[in-house]
Amino acid sequence: MKTQKVEQLIIATVGFFWCFLMWFSTAAFSPSIAAHYHLSIKALGLLASSAIWMAPIGRIVAGWASDRFGAPRTFAAVLAVCGLVSVASAYTTDYTLLFAERIIVAVAGVSFVVGIQHVAQWFEDHEIGTAEGLYAGTGNVGAGAGALVLPRIFGTDYHAAFLWLGAIAVLLAAWYLVRGRAAKTAARREVARCRSNVRGTVFVWSRYIAIALMLAYAMSFGLEIAMNAWLPGYFSRGFHAAILALGFTSVAGLQIAAGTFAAVQSFTASLLRPFAGFMSDLFQRRGWTPLPFIAKSLPYAPRLHWLGIALILITLGTAGLAAAGLSGSLHLSVAVLVALGVFISFGTGGTFALVPLLFPDRPGTAAGFIGGVSTAAGIIYPLFFAGGPNIHTGYFTVAVYMFLPFVLFYFWAARHERHPEEHGLLPISLAAENA
Amino acid sequence: MKSIPEMPQLHEPWYKYGVAFLCFEILIAVSVCAYSLFMTFHGLGGFPGKH
Repeated sequence: MKTQKVEQLIIATVGFFWCFLMWFSTAAFSPSIAAHYHLSIKALGLLASSAIWMAPIGRIVAGWASDRFGAPRTFAAVLAVCGLVSVASAYTTDYTLLFAERIIVAVAGVSFVVGIQHVAQWFEDHEIGTAEGLYAGTGNVGAGAGALVLPRIFGTDYHAAFLWLGAIAVLLAAWYLVRGRAAKTAARREVARCRSNVRGTVFVWSRYIAIALMLAYAMSFGLEIAMNAWLPGYFSRGFHAAILALGFTSVAGLQIAAGTFAAVQSFTASLLRPFAGFMSDLFQRRGWTPLPFIAKSLPYAPRLHWLGIALILITLGTAGLAAAGLSGSLHLSVAVLVALGVFISFGTGGTFALVPLLFPDRPGTAAGFIGGVSTAAGIIYPLFFAGGPNIHTGYFTVAVYMFLPFVLFYFWAARHERHPEEHGLLPISLAAENA
Repeated sequence: MKSIPEMPQLHEPWYKYGVAFLCFEILIAVSVCAYSLFMTFHGLGGFPGKH
């Protein structure tokens, strides 16, 4: 069968878009589900956070599986299983069973690392930033589309939404399996397959630069998915009076208003992610290295600097969101959220423009670690957001006590002028034995 | 800002379409943000928030 890399990019992107649509469809209908089952605030928070429970471990396994078995088989399996369980959840009337089924559907979130591995196996170094950005950014839109479009199409009928989302996922699984090819060349495929072992995994996990990138992704994508689940509830509670004053008085109206305001973060973070990858490519082409401490002579040093800039902006943007919320202005909060979404896109796009270059022989394992463990942050942040003296101050706590140390660690880990991947908690000999 | 001489890279034809699609996505993001900001001011009173 003849194929080419653009077709593979399209298959991966469409599959990923749909997985994200399924992943956050529960959050999009959480006000309806809460009203139907009379859920308390705590139960609603549990439902929101449950979307992310499977991601950390699931992404690690999926990253390894995509190196081992190839991305098409792994992605098709994820789509098929999640699709079938989503269909089943459409007919469920018991809340406990629905909760369990939606946790399984949330496994769709692991698909990200599979597609990252797939794209890395097809594109060259000088275009990897834009290619990964197009894949991840366009796919991520699924989350925002869920918040913005699904309540408008299906109203409060989440059963119908879950049925359609699941059925189409099964069709996409068949498409991925038939047309997907694991790598551009058999040699590239073989290298990834051979190095997908425990030693290779331990090697990647113990590198300081891999840990720094994982924390960078926790600051960007971890924050993005935490916000996807958190923001509809934040707006409906933190700005309840303002939304009522705008004329949204029913449950459906409140859901639409809160979802629309929340969607700005998801849309900007997702849709500008390809631009962030493009900027990483541009920094690389122009050789821009403006930040102190970070290495300046590495072949990919400008990409490290671009990511450093993104992390500083995310920290400032998150603190700014707390200030905007405390001011009580809905307009200012949405405006700051737009800026934060842009900064998050810089972080996500910048991180995965680097990962395939730092670990070219283990793209799935590296993507699984960096893209997987970092999602645990998506579970932790909402706890800080909800745990402050009021609903707005949690952003400031996260910015100061989590993001600031993460940025400092990134600067420290990215300071080596030669082979930063050689520095880690365990000796470099792990890589040699594994070669 | 340190600037080392630009190294020309020959991009394959797909790249320019990729960049064009990237611009299209930015346009969508700007539109969604503008709509959301518009809604914070007008709510149900303005198109297309009216329902």
